Amino acid sequence: MTEQLENEVFSQDGTIADSDVEEDELVQDWSQIAKIAKSNGALTIPKRGEKDYEPDGTDVQELLLYKARKELFDTLANSVRGSTVKAQVKALYVADRHGAVVPHARGNFLQTMGKVDFSDGQVWLSFYEFVYLSERGTVTPYWGGQSVAGENNDSLLPLSIEDLYILFKTQHELDNFAVYAHLRRLGFIVNPVSPSDTSFYPNCPSAPRTGVTSIYRAITSMFFLRKNSLFNNIFYKQWHYCFCKYTRTPQIYEKLKLLVPSISVPKTIEDLKGFYGSQQDYAEGQLTLTFNVWKPQTNFKKKHPPLPDYQVVVYNKNQRGAHFPTFDELQNIFRHLDYKFQFLSEVADDEFSWDDHSYIVGKPRSDVIASERKSKDKKDPKTPAKNPSAKKSKKRQLPPHIQQLQRLRNGYSSFLLAVIDNGIISFVRISQADFASENVWYVPPKDGLRKKPFNDRKKRAN
Amino acid sequence: MAKPKGKSLQQRYKYPLPIHPIDYLPSVILHNPVSWVYWAYCFWKATNIPSKRVHIEFEGGVNFPHIVVQDKDDMKYLWKNGFFGTGQLSRSEPTWLERQEGASKERSNDLALEKITERRRIQRLEFKKERVKLEKQLLDLRRNGGNIEQENALLVQEREMLRMFKQRQQEEGLGDNNSVVEESMIEGTAVDHEYVDIESLELMSVEATFLSFALPILDISPKVLLSRLFGPSNDITYGDIHKFITHYVTYHHYRSLGWCVRSGIKFGCDYLLYKRGPPFQHAEFCIMVLDHDKSKDYTWYSSISRVIGGAKKTCVLCYVERLLPEDQIVEYWRTDNFIKLFGSYRVGEVIYKRWIPGKNRD
Repeated sequence: MTEQLENEVFSQDGTIADSDVEEDELVQDWSQIAKIAKSNGALTIPKRGEKDYEPDGTDVQELLLYKARKELFDTLANSVRGSTVKAQVKALYVADRHGAVVPHARGNFLQTMGKVDFSDGQVWLSFYEFVYLSERGTVTPYWGGQSVAGENNDSLLPLSIEDLYILFKTQHELDNFAVYAHLRRLGFIVNPVSPSDTSFYPNCPSAPRTGVTSIYRAITSMFFLRKNSLFNNIFYKQWHYCFCKYTRTPQIYEKLKLLVPSISVPKTIEDLKGFYGSQQDYAEGQLTLTFNVWKPQTNFKKKHPPLPDYQVVVYNKNQRGAHFPTFDELQNIFRHLDYKFQFLSEVADDEFSWDDHSYIVGKPRSDVIASERKSKDKKDPKTPAKNPSAKKSKKRQLPPHIQQLQRLRNGYSSFLLAVIDNGIISFVRISQADFASENVWYVPPKDGLRKKPFNDRKKRAN
Repeated sequence: MAKPKGKSLQQRYKYPLPIHPIDYLPSVILHNPVSWVYWAYCFWKATNIPSKRVHIEFEGGVNFPHIVVQDKDDMKYLWKNGFFGTGQLSRSEPTWLERQEGASKERSNDLALEKITERRRIQRLEFKKERVKLEKQLLDLRRNGGNIEQENALLVQEREMLRMFKQRQQEEGLGDNNSVVEESMIEGTAVDHEYVDIESLELMSVEATFLSFALPILDISPKVLLSRLFGPSNDITYGDIHKFITHYVTYHHYRSLGWCVRSGIKFGCDYLLYKRGPPFQHAEFCIMVLDHDKSKDYTWYSSISRVIGGAKKTCVLCYVERLLPEDQIVEYWRTDNFIKLFGSYRVGEVIYKRWIPGKNRD
């Protein structure tokens, strides 16, 4: 911590205009926090002070540094830790299920974590949740035996954090946990990808259909190659200009475009369904989608979650045999994607609602939630109607060339690659791009048309 | 400065390709059959092919020949119609002669790109000097035992002064700073003699191939050109030509979509994509050409994306896939069947971008 603080005060590279400086995590100013913690005043976001780049040999600077450091230690020393016996939540690790049972579950964490097992009516935490909550001090970890035993509170064996780390089964699991905890700490809601999730697709991909589509694809691509070469044979001969006359540049571009085939990318719901249907099982040792990630939100429905905002692939760069995915492997990950495809809602009309396009075991999520709400209470029919109107006002139309640029820059489907290097996690967003679908050539204005903008300008002046 | 210049740029770079469309046909008057006949005659006479081919020379050794255009008009022509090639003594547009003449005479209104950059750099340097000066003031205050309030007041004052300074610099713009640059350039050069243009335009091998194979601009056939670059086609192995083919396929792909494709070496990547051309906009995308079945160490991806991200561009990994066996490709190369050769590769694209959790929470 002290080191961090010193870096803050004596940061060396302030003069270099590096665009990433602002992107790095903000180091908080502890003097403000200490005040807040002590006085319990109104919560404000602490601001950073002026930066000194190197020691200037003055006492003033020394004093500033000393003060900052002292405030940091004060903050750490004064903060309340631990829990009272009454508020303590115990979690018992059960080896057979590789998870923990919480006999008396209470607390905020239940909003997004834990699962009720209907066979015994208990709340179960997955192993990641268990370790994460123990590290935070939210639950107190205990050894609960090999299998679910009767609960006799007096003879429970408490576990330390070190003990918990022994319970990790593979390096892979540990890597996954690092990513899990990192995102959790930042406020995201994270769950492992599982087949029972809310899905964008009404039904699971079925094996026989994939065969047909792949054959169909092979045939069409063959045809595509043939057809092209026929046109090309003429265009690239020089004599063809004698009888082919181009009166506009785009005509030439259209001919040039036929030479190199490119891989097209799903852009609509229909495309996505076909693409998802063509998925193959992951090969041995290939990277797979590991986590669903939701942006922080207050009314998260644990039981019927919405579609995740991101999907994460965890990749330990130092693990033997692991490599950065090749294009084919990337494509296969793209085929497995099942999340809130952001690019769809950007082009869609106002009535587009994600709940109508996410399915829980084949049923639209909107229906599931509506029926649940009905059975629960009938007092609150207004809330669902409010949402779409709020969305409408958000949307604004940009000029087409900027929209095009955004499409090119953002790509289409995407996933996050969490790269781990000795405990340091960095994220990469990898998205499908399709330049071939956007023509950006410049069309020279015809002489007759050139007057138009001129007139427009005149009008505006008036 | 921007408005009139923008208009002249539109005029100057009217055509995005060196093949011009036939846009000079007479108008047809419906009730006048003579005009139809005249139109048909003009249409019949017109052709897209430029009247004169561009002559290229090969310079340098056998191992890596440089493709060079020396004729002054040809150099201009290639630059104006699609921004091909790079002036050997300039940053990109071959402007060496103009710059020399301009420097010795009066400064021209039409500023070369190099000069604009130089002016900006000088401005930035002056700004930094000013900042150092002000920082020194602060240090003096500290040494002399000023308190925090005084320090803060000085900081506020300092910031205001720097802002003013920057504003003043921008307002001056073409004014004083420019003359400083000019004078520094004039120093040492004689004012009153004629310059001989010693600059020539160098083409990348993919550019030359594009101008010879895809568009009939150069006075060399693709067959001769490629045998000059890679040796006689009979002893070619696939390994020799693989890299060139994947790069050409990528180049052709983006060119044919209307991008202005130029070398991306300055940003550590293979190509830069400009929307219309360097004088109009900054490059938006950096292209890295990769084989579809290979993967590199993560550090490689990370480093190029950081360089590109630092220049506020988007990093595109362009994967090229061969659809036919190697022998077939070599066979096509030997029989000069370049259409089938380049057509049997497929391009797939992926955007690679650093993702920061803290910025994506909403």
